[in-house]
Amino acid sequence: MTTLHNTSTHSRPIPNPSKSLITKLNMGTGLVVGVIFAFAAYYTFRPNADTADFYNQQNKALLAAMLFWSVGFLIGIGAFIGPFRWLIGKDLTAEEQLYLAGDGQGIKRYFKYCTDHKVVGIQYLVGVMAMLAVGGGMAMMIRTSLAVPGGHFIGASVYNSLVGMHGITMIVAMIIVATGPFGNYIMPIMIGARDMAFPRLNALSWWILFTAIPVLCSAWFLGGIPTGWTAYAPLSVQAGPGMNAFIATILIFAVSTAVAGMNITSTVVAMRAKGMKWNRVPIFVIGSTLSVALAIPAFPTFMLAMIQTTTDRVFNTGFYDANVGGSGWLYAHLFWIMGHPEVYVILLPGIAILMEIAPVFVRKPLFSYNAAIMGFVGIAGLSVLVWAHHMYISGWTPTLNGPFMVTTEMISVPTGLLFLVMLGTIWRGKPWMKLPMLGLFAVIWNFLIGGITGIYLSDVPADNYLHGSMFVTAHFHYTLMGAALTGAVAGLAYWFPKMTGRMLNEPAGYIAFWFTQIGFQVLFLGMFIAGAEGQPRRVVSFAAMYKYSNMISTGGAYLIGIGFIILLWAVIHSWRKGDIAPQNPWGAKTLEWTVPYPVPLENFDETPIITSDPYGYGKGI
Amino acid sequence: MSSDTASHTEFHIHHDAPAVVGRRERLGVRLLIVADGAFVVGMIFSYFYLRGLNANNSWVPKGGHTLAASTGWVVAAPLIAAAIVHKIGVKSRSAATSGFVLLAMLVGGYLQWRQLAHMPFVAVDEGGRHFFEGAYASNWVVLAGANMFHYVIGTFLALGLFIRGFRAKVDPTLEYWRQLTASSWFTWIAIAGALCAITTSIV
Repeated sequence: MTTLHNTSTHSRPIPNPSKSLITKLNMGTGLVVGVIFAFAAYYTFRPNADTADFYNQQNKALLAAMLFWSVGFLIGIGAFIGPFRWLIGKDLTAEEQLYLAGDGQGIKRYFKYCTDHKVVGIQYLVGVMAMLAVGGGMAMMIRTSLAVPGGHFIGASVYNSLVGMHGITMIVAMIIVATGPFGNYIMPIMIGARDMAFPRLNALSWWILFTAIPVLCSAWFLGGIPTGWTAYAPLSVQAGPGMNAFIATILIFAVSTAVAGMNITSTVVAMRAKGMKWNRVPIFVIGSTLSVALAIPAFPTFMLAMIQTTTDRVFNTGFYDANVGGSGWLYAHLFWIMGHPEVYVILLPGIAILMEIAPVFVRKPLFSYNAAIMGFVGIAGLSVLVWAHHMYISGWTPTLNGPFMVTTEMISVPTGLLFLVMLGTIWRGKPWMKLPMLGLFAVIWNFLIGGITGIYLSDVPADNYLHGSMFVTAHFHYTLMGAALTGAVAGLAYWFPKMTGRMLNEPAGYIAFWFTQIGFQVLFLGMFIAGAEGQPRRVVSFAAMYKYSNMISTGGAYLIGIGFIILLWAVIHSWRKGDIAPQNPWGAKTLEWTVPYPVPLENFDETPIITSDPYGYGKGI
Repeated sequence: MSSDTASHTEFHIHHDAPAVVGRRERLGVRLLIVADGAFVVGMIFSYFYLRGLNANNSWVPKGGHTLAASTGWVVAAPLIAAAIVHKIGVKSRSAATSGFVLLAMLVGGYLQWRQLAHMPFVAVDEGGRHFFEGAYASNWVVLAGANMFHYVIGTFLALGLFIRGFRAKVDPTLEYWRQLTASSWFTWIAIAGALCAITTSIV
């Protein structure tokens, strides 16, 4: 790669807006203002115990407190200074914008409303790891409870809440696990952009998400959520105060997702380096952009379902109450119109990461770039036409089960293309078996099992038997955890040197890999057996006939737990004391490896012009 | 990936030419409109889905308290007028129309708030609990709420454009790209208002 100096001289003013309010705001002020807003909202809408509408009023007060906490925090951290200054015609000065970008502020910028995409990427990375740790801890408690029949490690209602909280925590974490850290940190550099299209909205998407975390945690103090992460109505309408935390979390998260999706899509469409035509865009960028673009129209329907649930709970509307003309089917439709595309929102970036990794570690061009694009586009397109396969046995229009079965099974075709590309890339290559490459092999295996069992579940007669069983749980864990999360971990191992300036501890990484992958197979193959034998999911107590498969599954869960603890140690230790990474440790050809660490504020001192695709490797090493 | 000489002028994002930033902003706004559009389509789907099901024969409120077909159009009209006038302002590159747009947003917002405050289909049961009669009423209130949300965002934009023009801090010609960006939003909320009005016209 050759680059020449950019002829422009953008003189950078020294950021010293000492009189600006921006300099005085940070996470601490956000917390203070957020808590004040939350208490003020609760006090304003406080319920009156003497009225017949007490429960409605209680729901209103709690929801108001949670949403105002979010708004207050954002005000307190300075998220709305930009829009307010625009409103009054006093736009932010160049100095203030540079200050917002965190120039020269060291570690403090991670606790401020910082617009630098690299800071936002690290914030997402730490946030995702924390969410995965909490969600994983809850999974361990669930599996411990299921180790033996009639296990009373935790009570039934706590178990119910654990299942729901584990589900929603992991779903939120998995949606952002790749596009959050890598989509923000790596992607703009990969396409030769100096920043994201909307830097302030970039920071906003993270800090909105941040405000959802304490809201979700508050569910534990409000009686938990008894509905599972699907929050089916009318159960969710009748659920206790903890349900408000779930609803508020989804409302907040949906806004964050829309903002982030819009920002990433705009960046990739409008800010690619000169010469980076669409057929020269790195495949990770394509996969991730399609993923977030798919989320843009998908998540609002879930948001609508939550708003309708809210109005049912607070104002006694009747969306989901058949007595007044409502229907639980409406909720199921709105939920799954989001729910199934969401699976691919999670999956596509993980697979795209592996396609990015494969050519680098096999030193071969990506096999059929066009097939990869067709696979991604085909999956994204078909994913919006399959939602009702989740409703086969709900009784909703059985005559449409057949068409939905066909559309669902058609997804196997573009999915097959993704396999073809991954296998074609490593075919007859000499893989450099570093940690990221292990992830590729693991995903090919896991995704194969997750995909094939998905075909069973898309089949109406088979689904009649398997629906609601542990078989379904095992299937989607193979897809989401076995494929998407493993892909994201491979991405972490791959981009860790660029994001931290240090190499990830390889021996610890290998040990973690084998613990998690062996544990994963033990856990979920055992769960497949239990499910095929008929064990229902989401049930705290099970019959003695399932005891061996459950015992084996719990053993597998502990192996995964040990593996992730080792991985977490490896990440923290390597970040602090790992070997200093060279600029391009893998010899990769994409643009992020052309910039030094720490990456300059505007990424490139010299503006790249792209003249070829990013996978021009020779044959063999 | 190979790269070559950069002999052209590039600026940091904050220093990009207004036309470049404007194109980017319009794309961003249109993507947000896609999200909002999915929300509006979801509401319309809910309306016709429950209307079609008519569970327990409870689509129409028990007392027959439905609203006239014109109700939705009353609040959609200011949105449509604002979008048209704003478009004229953009074409003539004049900020003089921003006052009318702001006025339309305020009037429309007030009308929508008034409709919400005087809904005829909130009843009280024997235990003194307030509830909405029928699925029609439930859908109507959420559609009206979405309209209200559009008015709030529209008012913010209109106020900003008005203040900026009034303070003469910005040259309307230079702010043309901002007007274009706002135009996407005003056009969309007018369409959304009309869609909601058409929907609620069909009881």
